[in-house]
Amino acid sequence: MSGAGPRSTPISIDEVELAAGFGPVALRSPILAASGCFAYGQQFDAFMDLRQLGGLSTKGISPLPRHGNPLPRIYETASGMLNSIGLENVGCAAFLAEKLPFLAELGVSVWVNFFGTDFETYVECARTLSEGSRRAHGDGGIDVLEMNISCPNIKKGGIEFGTVPEVAHRLTKACVEVSEIPIVVKLTPNVSDVVAMADAVKQAGAAGVSLINTITGMAVDVRARRSRIATTYGGLSGPAIKPVALRMVHQVAQALPGFPICGMGGIISGEDALEFLMAGAHCVQLGTINFSEPGAALRVTDELRGLMAELGIRKIADAVSTLEPYPVEPPHAESRPATEPEPKPKPEPKPEPR
Amino acid sequence: MDGGFRIAYDSRVATAQFQVEVAVKRPLTGGYFVLELASDGANPVADAAPGQFVMLRGDWGRDLLNGRAFSVLEPIDSRRFSVLFKVFGRGTALMRDMTPGDPMTVTGPLGHGFPQPRPAGPTQILVAGGVGLPPLHLQARLAAAAATSASVEMFYGGRGAEDLVLTEDLERWGVPTVLATEDGSRGEQGRVTAPVRARLERAAAAGEAVELLACGPTPMLRAVRELGLAHEVPTYLCLEEMMACGFGVCLGCAVPVYGPKPYKYCCTDGPVFEAREVRW
Repeated sequence: MSGAGPRSTPISIDEVELAAGFGPVALRSPILAASGCFAYGQQFDAFMDLRQLGGLSTKGISPLPRHGNPLPRIYETASGMLNSIGLENVGCAAFLAEKLPFLAELGVSVWVNFFGTDFETYVECARTLSEGSRRAHGDGGIDVLEMNISCPNIKKGGIEFGTVPEVAHRLTKACVEVSEIPIVVKLTPNVSDVVAMADAVKQAGAAGVSLINTITGMAVDVRARRSRIATTYGGLSGPAIKPVALRMVHQVAQALPGFPICGMGGIISGEDALEFLMAGAHCVQLGTINFSEPGAALRVTDELRGLMAELGIRKIADAVSTLEPYPVEPPHAESRPATEPEPKPKPEPKPEPR
Repeated sequence: MDGGFRIAYDSRVATAQFQVEVAVKRPLTGGYFVLELASDGANPVADAAPGQFVMLRGDWGRDLLNGRAFSVLEPIDSRRFSVLFKVFGRGTALMRDMTPGDPMTVTGPLGHGFPQPRPAGPTQILVAGGVGLPPLHLQARLAAAAATSASVEMFYGGRGAEDLVLTEDLERWGVPTVLATEDGSRGEQGRVTAPVRARLERAAAAGEAVELLACGPTPMLRAVRELGLAHEVPTYLCLEEMMACGFGVCLGCAVPVYGPKPYKYCCTDGPVFEAREVRW
């Protein structure tokens, strides 16, 4: 290995501060639960103290209720799973009346994922959620509207909004104009240039981006000669997609320094979370792991705190976008240049302090 | 988890995730195993009803991410319970290789089970196929232990004799049992639904009140559903669908139903459904 990276001095776990900033949004911890993997939060009350979360993103809400896709809807693959649930949800009105009061009382950052089926319903949904939340809960309701322009499961609309920068720009701008609540746009990885998408929604007034949604995929049952998913394709999630997610977070962070990024894609440990922060995310969401380990968010939070202490990282901001470059190799030549000094003998290692 | 178990926010079912160890792995015929799991302290599976299930996951690393759903075979005592499994895929192959002392994580008990046998109630005709045995085995166990006038009869089918496991329990409990194998190696030859049909016809002729409780492969459940509807007999099907979570979040285990909404969920609304409700 060419260099072990910067040395760090461990600190006490009590010195670690998990508070994180995401543009205008303050988070008590950078660990949130991801949309579609946490329902409306209530089911997880039996498994954990929800107040310990940094926040949570709800199941995607549309103006009207949706009943979802035929089955089979899910299939487990290597280190991940495919899903094609079909954006089933209770709709705006029922969400505001029945689900939001529970979330508003938690005191954690409430991110409400939303979508429409066309331009008008996206805007209508943003307006309804923003107005409904402000009317009933003032500043204490929805903290972020997470606009889903990327879910690959709707046949009409969704994928075009998420893959053409100009369209995403127009849609984001229209939603930002009708919402008093910051809008964060959740982007699809199913594009060739994610930076262009992030830049387009940033220019339109988005408060940040969530990266990444699922990667479109497929699995085949050779005995039945059928796709494992009734709608043929599904969204791949879980640790299998983490390298792709990290790459996209890093690309956007490098291209748009300071623009808030919420990173997600296969995070199941504190180290995974720290990878995302160092690559450029300001906070992260946990998705698929919640299914098999409903208390995972708090374990990951503890692991992150422990790892930050071990690495001497006091604050989340001290981790974000802090990747070091590798040392540059000298140019190749047939023999070592005469100008280069003789390598010095290694000094004796100092005894480790006890 | 910090000790005690709490009640899920919007469910009547006590739900928790807790650790167990493999206590006993008992091989049966046909590639079936009984896996007995034990926790350090009391766990909520002790109160599991027939049809309720647990999500099980071993220390399997990241490749297999989700738990696997298994009906409770027997809540043995406050700390121990068992499940029945047969190797079908990657998860059950890993379970076959587990040894006593191996850790597993359990979520449950989950879902809603079969209607209980009722004193002087209708005769419950239990129809089991293959790995669908556990809920009906437990139903028969409880009916026998209750020693009331409630009566159950078991109809149990498999491909061959090796697929019919734990029949000695049924004998010991004195549960009237009809066995059927497709290859005729044990019991009646053919599918189990043939003797079930004959039994329903006898009941109809005698004016006897009966109900059907079934668990097994989907083709068998479809056939039982047809029989129940044709004979206008209350029929309860214990369904199995792909599930990632088991507690109503992933929405993967949709079951098509008739009613105000097109789908219900195997995990939280079921896994036991009334046949009339299922949109097959």
